[in-house]
Amino acid sequence: MSAVAGAGTRSGRASRTGRRRRHSETLAGYSFLAPNLIILGLFLFIPVGWAAGISLQSTNGFGSGDFIGFENFARLARDPIFWQSAFNTALFTALIVPLSMGLGLGLAVLMNSVLPARGLFRTIIVLPMVISGVATALVGVLIFDQNNGVLNKLLKASGLGAIPWQSGGAAAFASVVLVTLWWRVGFNMIIYLAGLQGVEPELYESARIDGASSWKQFRYVTVPMVGPSTFFLLVMNVIYSFQVFDIVYVLTNGGPGYSTSVLVTYAYQNGFVTRDQGYAAAIGIVLLILTLAFTALQWRFSRTRDQVG
Amino acid sequence: MTMDLNRRQLLGLAGTLGGVAALSGCAGFSRPDTATGADELTFTTWGSDSELLGFEQAIAAFEESNPGAKVTLNVVPFAQMFENIDAQLQSGTAPDIFRVDYDNLGVYSGRGQLLDLGPYIDDAVGNQFTDQMWRAVQFDGAPYGVPHHTDTSTILYNKDAFAAAGITAVPDTLESAWTWEEFDQVATTLRGQLSDDRYPFAYNWQASGVTRWLSWLFQADGRFLADDLMTPAIDSAAGRAAVDFTKGFFPRRLVPENSSVKSSTFASDIFFSETSTMTFAGAFLLPDAAKLAPFEWGATFSPRNKRGGGDLGGNALVATSETTKPELAAEFLTFMTREETMFNFCVGASLLPTLKSLVGEDLPFAERGDLATYFVQQASNVRPDDAAQIASPAMAAINTVLSDELEQAFIGGQSTDDTIANITAGITEATSR
Repeated sequence: MSAVAGAGTRSGRASRTGRRRRHSETLAGYSFLAPNLIILGLFLFIPVGWAAGISLQSTNGFGSGDFIGFENFARLARDPIFWQSAFNTALFTALIVPLSMGLGLGLAVLMNSVLPARGLFRTIIVLPMVISGVATALVGVLIFDQNNGVLNKLLKASGLGAIPWQSGGAAAFASVVLVTLWWRVGFNMIIYLAGLQGVEPELYESARIDGASSWKQFRYVTVPMVGPSTFFLLVMNVIYSFQVFDIVYVLTNGGPGYSTSVLVTYAYQNGFVTRDQGYAAAIGIVLLILTLAFTALQWRFSRTRDQVG
Repeated sequence: MTMDLNRRQLLGLAGTLGGVAALSGCAGFSRPDTATGADELTFTTWGSDSELLGFEQAIAAFEESNPGAKVTLNVVPFAQMFENIDAQLQSGTAPDIFRVDYDNLGVYSGRGQLLDLGPYIDDAVGNQFTDQMWRAVQFDGAPYGVPHHTDTSTILYNKDAFAAAGITAVPDTLESAWTWEEFDQVATTLRGQLSDDRYPFAYNWQASGVTRWLSWLFQADGRFLADDLMTPAIDSAAGRAAVDFTKGFFPRRLVPENSSVKSSTFASDIFFSETSTMTFAGAFLLPDAAKLAPFEWGATFSPRNKRGGGDLGGNALVATSETTKPELAAEFLTFMTREETMFNFCVGASLLPTLKSLVGEDLPFAERGDLATYFVQQASNVRPDDAAQIASPAMAAINTVLSDELEQAFIGGQSTDDTIANITAGITEATSR
């Protein structure tokens, strides 16, 4: 009995020690997290909550607004420019995400192979990434200027007609997509390059022994092995595309008409030009919900696909 | 192990304290811009190099004539100016003084953000300014700023291109300015002479310049706000004439397709690159034109129709309602608009004065001072009634409506009737907000 009691006491002490240890570890974990949590709370969660509050108000930019419930959201539902901007954002995302990832992966494979002066090529491709979006868009303005831009001059010189990059809706949208690709492909390439460098060469060797062609090696070895990179890039590119602002704002200012207006430029227009900040906050909240929904879907959808093997 | 845990706890605690300390440091971000010293003012502005030099010299002169007074100049890029000011006003950290264009002034004065200068300045001060400029800084009959300078658009033209098209003379007095019909005839003649990739003119309504379209409306003797400055008044024969006339520039290829109101290409750049033979431009562009236009160019007046009309460019200086030194702020604003201070500033930066006493003076601009008279005379076409409409608190929202609807009219195929109806609806919404 006493032996049992002794064992019980020892077991109880061990359990208490274990709990204390776990408690201490939890405390230490939270201590490490605290600086980030405080910064995230102050600069992300509180502003998001605040924006949600403003989205329920009618404001003129100054002083306290009037609470109007969900009227701003009802206005959004009736606003054709909002729907056009939402459609443009979706189209932009549908084009940018696969194109930037596809080109990024292709270039990464190329740069990962034995290519002369690949360091130089890598630098050239990554260079736009280190320039701000505004500067990139300004370069885009020089390239896509309808009258005096480099591209139209080249097209005219080669006997092809000039393209209405600034006055044609579809061409203006294409110019935004092209400049964005130029800016974003480098980032995608870097992530894929890092992923590729973790792939064991033996996998390719065994595939070759099994008679796999270059395409089959790419399709059945490379693509699955860079699955985690693909998942990461998918999330990052969708979020980026939903939030695109600087390139559109500088390159086309949402025009001609509303043909390149996206949700963030429309929110900016309402929030900082018209100073209808309640309405702008409502657009922001819709954008947040869309981004969270897509990210959650990707997360769920990709769980089975981002595992190698 | 115990030691290990203690070390972790210690590190965690250090991390927490470090984070808190870092965040405490961040409090510096929200330091009020309002100067704390009794004789100190903060002044936020944007500006070109010559404008900033003018401000620095004026501040030095103010400090010299007011011993103990100190004005701290904060310079921000124009693109961020009003976002910053809005945020600072909302958070109670605004500067004592800031520079503001006449389109935006009403947004602040109409929402209680500016100091009513009435109690702090002599009644006679208002009489020193031209009527239209003094009207431009008022809201509900009270002055909420001082008109520091103005600017307006005239036509700059390429002399060689005009000679090639057989146009040998341009109007050299305000009274003989081209009528709309004459201007249209000149543009049509040029169109017939120019190659396909060149255009008769470009109008400067791009970016935030859409207010400049109103010059056409004023020339047609129209208005966009009724006398109460709330009711839309653009649904008129004058409104339709202005939309019809300007809309016609695009299909007739009198202006480049990419020069509509939302374009990222400025009219002046189109002119400098010889894509257009004329541009509408403010006096502030004279130094750029002298440097960038690789051809001989001159100036003439903007067209007139039922009357002459021009845009209300330039900027005012205002004090914020939360300033703790209203007397000093008013004294500084008065000093900045004294005859000598204004003259030096305007001459240095190629801008137009707002004091009646300076309107007839020669302005020896550093570049093309010979053309200053065109701008000064053109500015006299702006009427106090025009200025009152532009100083409306709803002007920022009205600008968005104009930009959206004129873009649709110019290159979206929207009819004049729909454009007028949509602008009317937009103004109603903007003024009721």
